Amino acid sequence: MPFEPEPPRLPPLNAPDVPPVIGAVPPPLPPDSDAKRLHPMTLFFAGWGVVRGWLIPIVIFLFVGRYELLTFLAFMAGLQIVFSVVRYFTFTYRIAGAELITREGLIQRHERNIPLDRVQDIKIEQGVLHRMLKMAVVQVETAGGKGAEATLSVLSQPDAEQLRRLIFERRAIVRGKGAETTEPQPEQPAEIIRKLELKDLVMAGLTSNRMASVIVLLGAVWAFADDVLGEKAYIRMQQAIEQWFAQLATYDLQTTIFLFIFGAIGIILFSMIISVIGSVVLFHGFTLVRHGEDLQRSYGLLTRRTASLPRRRIQVLQIQEGILRRLFGLAAVRADTAGSPAGDGQQSGHDSLLPIIPKDELGTLMPVFFPNFDNEQPDWRRVSRVAIRRGTLKGSLLLLTLSAILSFFYGQASLWALIFLPAVYLINVLNYRHLGYSLGAEYFQTRRGWLKRSTHVVPIRNIQSVVLHQNPFDRRHRVATLIVDTAGQTYTGGGPRISNVAMKDAVHLARLLSQQASQRRLQW
Amino acid sequence: MVFVKQCVNIYMQGDLRSDQGSSSADAHPAAPPPIMAQPSEEFQPLDRRVVRLWRITRTISSTVLLIIASVILTGVSAGFPGLAFLLPYAIGALFVLLVFSVIWYPPRAYRAWGYRIDSKVIEARYGVIFHSTHLLPLNRLQHVDIHRGPLDRAHGLSSLLLHTAGSQAATLVIPGLDQGEAKRLRDHLVEIGGDDAV
Repeated sequence: MPFEPEPPRLPPLNAPDVPPVIGAVPPPLPPDSDAKRLHPMTLFFAGWGVVRGWLIPIVIFLFVGRYELLTFLAFMAGLQIVFSVVRYFTFTYRIAGAELITREGLIQRHERNIPLDRVQDIKIEQGVLHRMLKMAVVQVETAGGKGAEATLSVLSQPDAEQLRRLIFERRAIVRGKGAETTEPQPEQPAEIIRKLELKDLVMAGLTSNRMASVIVLLGAVWAFADDVLGEKAYIRMQQAIEQWFAQLATYDLQTTIFLFIFGAIGIILFSMIISVIGSVVLFHGFTLVRHGEDLQRSYGLLTRRTASLPRRRIQVLQIQEGILRRLFGLAAVRADTAGSPAGDGQQSGHDSLLPIIPKDELGTLMPVFFPNFDNEQPDWRRVSRVAIRRGTLKGSLLLLTLSAILSFFYGQASLWALIFLPAVYLINVLNYRHLGYSLGAEYFQTRRGWLKRSTHVVPIRNIQSVVLHQNPFDRRHRVATLIVDTAGQTYTGGGPRISNVAMKDAVHLARLLSQQASQRRLQW
Repeated sequence: MVFVKQCVNIYMQGDLRSDQGSSSADAHPAAPPPIMAQPSEEFQPLDRRVVRLWRITRTISSTVLLIIASVILTGVSAGFPGLAFLLPYAIGALFVLLVFSVIWYPPRAYRAWGYRIDSKVIEARYGVIFHSTHLLPLNRLQHVDIHRGPLDRAHGLSSLLLHTAGSQAATLVIPGLDQGEAKRLRDHLVEIGGDDAV
């Protein structure tokens, strides 16, 4: 059952009333809340975590018959449970003044103060079990730092939502500028920007390139089989495969080719099914909602995730079109905030602002992400034509090396690979035509790629620095690589970077960008 | 010799140093609109003493590198007796390379370095083989550090570290500044920049 953004409720009794903000004088902060413990269910989830973590090893050891290791496992599990219990009874959190304070530790007391105006994002995550028990995990993120600054696991669902509301409301007061409050105010209506239907997600799965992940999965299963099944079974399996291949060799060529094609199609179909399932499970019921300045995403079939992103915190936006998606006119939108932690984006879906969207709808959506986005067609400028020559040279060298290696092993017939040389040139010409940058009034954009395309949009006010690089070859061709640096570029593939810009233009552009950035105030 | 000169010419052409070095062949639809004039300030060099400092640090690191490389190469050549005659040549070549890097490189690096600060932006350029230009809007500065190692102190020099909230090019390091100059710069930058720290 999709988790709709709840209609605003009356604030619970223990939630301090937030007075309306009038004029420039910041109102006094509501009284501090008492230190609170996590929900007692934390203990249950800790126990469940231990069971889940050790279940597979225990079963395996029982199966293999290595009982002596079981005592060791039991000891480790017991230790873990003791730690969790101690943590539950010592962990408290409270909001005092303009800070969220967490405290934990029995012997070594550890206190962490998180200034509320530094909070970038509050994520609420619910696994299947959490949802059954109406519990949630809250993650508070600030700019910088790896991962969440505070993880509250677990709170009851109403508590989690209340905490988020409280933090956002207070943050607005702390900032002082009540007029442009950024956070979901109870009276602000939620505007649903986009809902993804099942067919969108199926399409997303079908067009995502997950072939590689299937192969990795198979490899992992194979390695696992090797570890677990023991020598005998492994050898038996290997023999079976060898036999199968031997049998294959006895067939005539036609049958072999047929079998191979059949197998390849089978693998592709299987990978498609896996990626469709992956996409549906991760993004089921995806809803993007706007509460004032806040973009809220909630999604997930098994684990339900809610993440809110104040839109002015978007540092870089990337529109990504893979080969298949480009064929169908589809794109995915990713966004980075200053707090995006490295690593978890892909599997939690936090990197996606919109996992799939028809390209032609983006025109109407961009002003939602960037309120002052100049919606006129960007004036794309091209880089130096040298790019074609250099790209072709690089591609040809690669092709030559490859065909040389092939012909070394398989004889001179392999030189047929060289017929692709014109294709290398053609691809470089097409890539060149699709490579460009555009400097608008408030946004700098770059795009690259013909088969698959990636477009970066950077608000100029978010530019941290501009760097030009020239290697000796660049100098010879009088071109440079331009890099635009912003805070947080983990989800958007390293931010905008454009090579082979004619030196004169590059210097001019870099100065222009840095000057314009210096005239704008960066807002977090 | 003529060939070398030609190479040098090619090497120097289209250089970050010569902003005018345009290329008419790279015709563009139109140049970006000229909003700003050329920056008024001239590029400032580093302190001259930095050449000596770099020579010392490079001598130290080269010596260490040479010793490690010699040990490894000797060990490897013990495994391939047929190739053992190459050992002195390899070490000799490495030695020549390192001497070159100690004598030739620091003055080049010194000449390549330049920075200029106008009211809005600091622009630094550096690099002998790979040229870079780093432009940093002053109001994006998060904090400014002065770093002085023991050798810096012995030479009366400081490095200035300019930190932004960026990700891949978050820090700009200006080495080899006179210590008084570094302090003056730091105070100046802190005063005019940094009104929007995180």
